[in-house]
Amino acid sequence: MSTEKMVKHLPNDLGGTGCSDDKIKIYERDLFPWEKRCHALLDVLDYYKIVNTEEKRRGTENIGAEMATQLSYYEKWIVSASNILLQKGILSPDEIALKTKEVSERFDVPLN
Amino acid sequence: MNNDQNHPHKHDHPHDHTPIVNEEKPGYYEILEISIRELMIEKGLIKPDDVRKQIELLDSRSPVLGQKLVVRAWLDPEFRKRLLTNGVAAAEEMGITIYDDTAFTVLEDTIDTHHMIVCTLCSCYPRAVLGLPPDWYKSKQYRSRAVKEPRAVLAEFGTIVSDDIQIVINDSTANQRYMVLPLRPAGTENFTEEQLEALVTRDTMIGVTIPHLN
Repeated sequence: MSTEKMVKHLPNDLGGTGCSDDKIKIYERDLFPWEKRCHALLDVLDYYKIVNTEEKRRGTENIGAEMATQLSYYEKWIVSASNILLQKGILSPDEIALKTKEVSERFDVPLN
Repeated sequence: MNNDQNHPHKHDHPHDHTPIVNEEKPGYYEILEISIRELMIEKGLIKPDDVRKQIELLDSRSPVLGQKLVVRAWLDPEFRKRLLTNGVAAAEEMGITIYDDTAFTVLEDTIDTHHMIVCTLCSCYPRAVLGLPPDWYKSKQYRSRAVKEPRAVLAEFGTIVSDDIQIVINDSTANQRYMVLPLRPAGTENFTEEQLEALVTRDTMIGVTIPHLN
């Protein structure tokens, strides 16, 4: 992709960029419990005007194109939310690091 | 899973019922979700049961609500006018709150215009009346192609729209959500409300399919 096209099209701005060879994968599935909790959490943050929908979307854009293709939909949401909460100074990097360590130990999951 | 569940057996012997344990270990992103929720609660920025309550609200929303709006609009011309003029007020009249505080616009299909909705930027969707969107609605393929080649996209859903019918695509945003009011199929003049509701599926209100008699 030319740099000009990259400047004009932010990663999320996909309208009209696709082609017929890229078939739509039509299927149904239930969300994983954590995905639904993640959705609800972001709704609650929007309700309290802590992180609104547009900030969350922009946050997924700031993850960068390379990461964005590797993360699932709700993985992007939670990364976006944590980044925006950091940017706004609502959470600090230390708080997130300590809490994720505590939670991972609670579930006996090693964090690398 | 216990193999016994796969073939019937008499329950005349005591079972050693082991307690159900969740053996799935959370991955990194789930741990991040739990951590952020707990930190926000500890800081008093959200309440301990806010997330659970929101899950209940999300679970209470499904295409059944959209169906009721569509069928009422098919049967009641005055309601139809109100629904097309102000979707939020008409939904609330039916007891359906547009809980995410977005504008809700209903798009009327006619004999010469078919509508279809998309969110090219992300996944905005009329969640208050349809529930959460399917994965394909959020996919790169649907988002990138819907506005460019809607007829090809519709064909992948088995929907063929003749060339003399205009297709209008509405692109949703964080503040503006759409739902399609499809055409009532011919031959349904004597249908009951329940029979009509059965024709109105989620995908007909997204506009990727069209209600039809089986």
